[in-house]
Amino acid sequence: MHKGWTVSPAVTVPCPSQRSRSQNIVPCTVSQLLAAEQVDETFRICDVEISQVTVVGIVRHAEKAPTNILYKVDDMTAAPMDVRQWVDTDEAGGENVVVPPGTYVKVAGHLRSFQNKKSLVAFKIMPLENMNEFTTHILEIVNAHMMLRKNLMSASRVPQSFSSTGISDMGGYRGGGSLPVNGLTAYQSQVLNLIKSCHVPEGMSLQDLKQQLHSMSMPTIKQAVEFLSSEGHIYSTVDDDHYKSTDAE
Amino acid sequence: PLDVAEEPKSTQYSGEIHPSGKFIVLTDGLGKHTTVELSEPLDEEISGVIEVVGRVTNQATIMCASFVQFREDKSAFDLELYNEALKIIQEFHEYFPFGTGMNT
Repeated sequence: MHKGWTVSPAVTVPCPSQRSRSQNIVPCTVSQLLAAEQVDETFRICDVEISQVTVVGIVRHAEKAPTNILYKVDDMTAAPMDVRQWVDTDEAGGENVVVPPGTYVKVAGHLRSFQNKKSLVAFKIMPLENMNEFTTHILEIVNAHMMLRKNLMSASRVPQSFSSTGISDMGGYRGGGSLPVNGLTAYQSQVLNLIKSCHVPEGMSLQDLKQQLHSMSMPTIKQAVEFLSSEGHIYSTVDDDHYKSTDAE
Repeated sequence: PLDVAEEPKSTQYSGEIHPSGKFIVLTDGLGKHTTVELSEPLDEEISGVIEVVGRVTNQATIMCASFVQFREDKSAFDLELYNEALKIIQEFHEYFPFGTGMNT
């Protein structure tokens, strides 16, 4: 089985995860983050799993402590959100300059919840130099959430046909240009179609497949996945539980 | 009629400040004018794009709670595009929620 990695500007994959985890950076409003439901270690906004997010807003407050800077960032969809940026105490200044209140910033970070209060731990806080990025962020939020929810809905229907639109440039094992319908059992076709319809960079997990395919047992799904992988129709991504199709739609 | 508590409205300063400095008449990208009453008079001239946060009154003016000037030192702000984006978030409000207790 050939392992491939998918890297795109929106994805950071620091290390293989043992659990099914969204590795996208999803642009969000503060109101969406506050509304996200937490199940164990994961957050979901309307069934879309989120972890790393970007938020654009105005700094209302900045408080510097020895190890971190605490900002309150306001995007006016809800009350200002706490954003904590850890300061690298080894760095000789410069890297972590406090952003003054009244500045519009783009924050990239992880969503956290502690005692029912949500906050962000930022790995990047960038003052906006071009305010059109504010407009862009608004549009990206609508687009991202719409696409993510659509992907969840379309993955739950088994597609009737699959297209062969050519080889996707994903760096994985490259299968043939067109997929023969013959040679695949009904189970294998179903699994393959679901994997093909998934547009999330880390692909579809075995757990996702089990959720969508109620009639198939996990051993049957695993068998189908192993066959498809050995034939080159799919390849594993972040770990042996996640797969993407070699033919992208 | 909209009953909005704190709705951010981004409008472009059209160059008309009342002599007292307490009122500004703003023009949005579509040529509509809105009067904004400031909590304190302006102490200096401003120009460019400002974002006003405030309350809409019965007379369809805005009582300004705060405002911020968009920086345009590196790039001009595309106000028409911003207004298009506002229309999109109104149309697709399920993907861009405003906080509870507000009607948009």
